[in-house]
Amino acid sequence: MRRGVGLTVLAAALSVVVSGCGSGVIDKSTDGVPPAEATGTLRVLIPSFPPSTKGREAFQNVVDEFHKTYPKMKVEPDFATYNNLNEKLATSIAAGIPYDVMVTGVGWVQPFASKNIFEDLGKYGVTPDFIKEKSTPALIPAVTYDKKLYAYPLLADARAVALRKSAFIEAGLDPNKPPTSLAEIKVAAEKLTKRDKNGNITRSGFDLASATGFRQSFTTFLASTGTPLYVGGEPNFDNKAGLDTLLWIKSMINNVQPYGQTNAAQQPLVLTGEAAMGIVNGAVDCSDKGIGKKNCDDLKFFRFDSGKEIEYVGGDLASIGSRSHHKDAAWAFIQTMVNKPTLDAIAKLNKKIPAYKDAGNSPQAQSNPLSNFTANGLQYAANENEVPSNWLEMRGNFDIQLTQAVLGQKDPAKVLHNLAGQSR
Amino acid sequence: MSTTLERPALDTPRKVPTAKDTGTLLKGQKRTGWALLAPALLHSAIFIVIPVVAVLVLSLTDYSFGDTWSWVGFGNYADLARDVDFLASLWHTVLYAIVVIPISMAIALAVAVGLNQKIRGLGFFRTAFYIPTVTATVAIATIWLWIYNPGSGLANGFLSLFGFAPNRWLADPATALPSLMVVGIWQGLGTKIIIYLAALQGVSRDLLESADLDGASRWQRFVNVTWPSLGPVQFFVLITSIVGTFQVFDLVYVMTRGGPGSDTRVLVLDIYQNAFQDLKLGYASAETVIMMIVIAAFIGVGRLLQRADTND
Repeated sequence: MRRGVGLTVLAAALSVVVSGCGSGVIDKSTDGVPPAEATGTLRVLIPSFPPSTKGREAFQNVVDEFHKTYPKMKVEPDFATYNNLNEKLATSIAAGIPYDVMVTGVGWVQPFASKNIFEDLGKYGVTPDFIKEKSTPALIPAVTYDKKLYAYPLLADARAVALRKSAFIEAGLDPNKPPTSLAEIKVAAEKLTKRDKNGNITRSGFDLASATGFRQSFTTFLASTGTPLYVGGEPNFDNKAGLDTLLWIKSMINNVQPYGQTNAAQQPLVLTGEAAMGIVNGAVDCSDKGIGKKNCDDLKFFRFDSGKEIEYVGGDLASIGSRSHHKDAAWAFIQTMVNKPTLDAIAKLNKKIPAYKDAGNSPQAQSNPLSNFTANGLQYAANENEVPSNWLEMRGNFDIQLTQAVLGQKDPAKVLHNLAGQSR
Repeated sequence: MSTTLERPALDTPRKVPTAKDTGTLLKGQKRTGWALLAPALLHSAIFIVIPVVAVLVLSLTDYSFGDTWSWVGFGNYADLARDVDFLASLWHTVLYAIVVIPISMAIALAVAVGLNQKIRGLGFFRTAFYIPTVTATVAIATIWLWIYNPGSGLANGFLSLFGFAPNRWLADPATALPSLMVVGIWQGLGTKIIIYLAALQGVSRDLLESADLDGASRWQRFVNVTWPSLGPVQFFVLITSIVGTFQVFDLVYVMTRGGPGSDTRVLVLDIYQNAFQDLKLGYASAETVIMMIVIAAFIGVGRLLQRADTND
C-alpha cells in the first residue's frame, strides 16, 4: 500500500515535471485590455542589441517609446546571441515561462512555427504584400511557414565578396574585372595564394568564411549556380549542382586557404589583408578605429555569379510567442522596434542593413561602401530559402558532414545524399 | 549540611532488558536514523530520483518543446544505434576516458610521490599543481586556444625551435582529440595529486621502516608497501575520473565545438546539441540514459579490477 502511494506520488511529481514543459502562467492575459491599463512583464529575447552600454541605451530608447503606449508594462530583455538563442528558447519553454517577443534569424522561423511556438502574424495584418511595401521582400521566404507569416524582418544581414586591388595587380590580375563564377574564382585564388618556402600558406587566395562549418558558404555558392538549397521544404542539393559545389569547396580548402583559418578578432580575412579575396559581412569601418581609409580604398566589392548573381542575406526576424499572455503588447513592441530611427540604430550596432524598403538610402548604407553595396543588392538576396521544419537539426548536420566531405573523411556524393535524406 | 548518597544494594538484581525494551530502543534508533537521513533523502529524491525518472520517461517520447508529443517506445534507442554522430561521440568519449584516466592517474601519483618528499619550495609546487583545478575551465580553454594557435601559439613556437613544421592542432582531425586530451590530463592533475598526497601521508610509517630494515630498495618499498596501501584511494580516484571524463563538455565546447567535422564530438556535447540546439529532448534523454549505463559499466569494470588487485 505504502509503496503504491509512493509510486503514485512519484508519478504525480513526474507528471508535474513533464507538464511543466508544456505551459506556464506568469501574468494574467492583457490581450483585449486597453494599453494604458495593461500590466505585467513583457519578456523579450533579442540578439539584435549587444549587451554593451550602447546596446542597452538603444534598447532603453525602444522601451521608453513603448511605454508611451503601454505605460504600466514592464519590459524584461534577454540580450542573447545567435549562439545561445536555441538554449534560451528551449529552457524558457521547459520552464513554462516562454518569451513574448522573440527575435531569431533565417532558418529559425519554420521549425518554431511548426512546433506552434510562434504566433501567426496574419492577424496583425502582416502579409507578403505588407512586407513588400514596408520591409525587405527578400526575407519573405525566411518568415513564411505553411503560407503564413510568423515573423517581421528587423535587419538584413547581407554578405558580399571583396578583393584587394593591390593583391590583384601584384598577381597580374585586373581588379576591375573581378572573378565572379566559381571556376574563375578558383583560378584567380590560386594565383593570389602566397606560400612560404615550406609550402605553407601565408596569405590565402580566397577566404570562404567557413572556419567552423561550410553550411552558409555551401548555400551561397550553390545559390550562385541558380540552385536554392531547399524549395518548398524539399532538399535541392542532392544533384549535380550540389556535388559540383561541394567538390569545388573541397578543391579550395588547403589549396588556397588552410582549413579552419580565422583571426582573433573574427574579422573577414580580406579586410585584415590575411586573404587577397573573400566573403565579407555587410559593413566595414573605414575610420581610423576600423581598418582605415587606405585599406578601404584597396577593396573592391562584387557578388557571386555562376549563372545567377546573388548575395547571401540573413536577417533578424521578430516573432510573437504563441504562449504569450501579452500578444497585443508584443506586437506593439515589435512595431516600436521597426520605426526607422530604431532600425537605423540597431543596424549600426550590428553592422547590418535596416530591413525597411529604401534601405539603400539608410544612414547605415551611406556610412560605408560595403553597406552601400550590399544594401543596394538586396534584390539579389539568396539564403537557405524554404527550409524544412527540422532545419535546426539540419544546421548542425550540414556543418559536420560538409566538413567531413571537404576534409576527405566522407564521400561528398554520399554526404549530400545523406543530408537530403535527413531533411524532413 | 551534607548529602548522603545511597549506595545501591549489591544484592538488588540488575534488570535484564527484555525483548520489548530492545525493540523499543531499536525503533527509537531507527526513527532517529531516518530523521537524520530525511534531508539527504529529500534532496536525493528531488534532485536525483525525479530527474532520473523524468529522463527515463522522456527517453520514450519524441518531446521537442512543442505543443504535442507522443510515445515512441524504444524508437529513440533504435535511432541512436544508427546515429553516426552519436556513435562517434560515444567512441570519442570512451577513447578520451581510456587515454586521459590512466595517464593522469599515473602522472598525478608520480607528482604526489615527489611532493611527499622533503624538498625546497614544496608549498609552491603544491599550489602550482592545484591552480588548474580551481581555475574556470573556460579560462583554461581560452589559454590553451592561444597555445594551440597555429600562427602565433606557444606550441608551434616551441616546436619550431627544434625544426618541426607548424601544426594545426585543433583544426587537424588527426591531432584535435589528442590536443584536447593533453588539456584534460593537465587540468585534472591537481585534484588527483591532492588526494594521492593525503593517502601517501597515511601510509604506515612502521611498515615503511620495517621494509627499510629488511633492506628493501625504494622501488620495492613503493611496490610492496605504498602501492597496496593506496588501493581504496586508487578506486576513489578512478571512479571520480571516470565520471569526470565522461562528463567532459565545457573544454570541448569552448575549444572545438566538436570539430573539425565531428572529430572531437563527445557524448555530453552531443546530448547538449540534440537537446538545446536541435530541440530533440526525448532523443537527448535516451542518450543520457545510455551515458548513465556506460558510466555504470565502466565503474563496474573498475570495481572488478580493484577486487582482483586486492585479492592479489
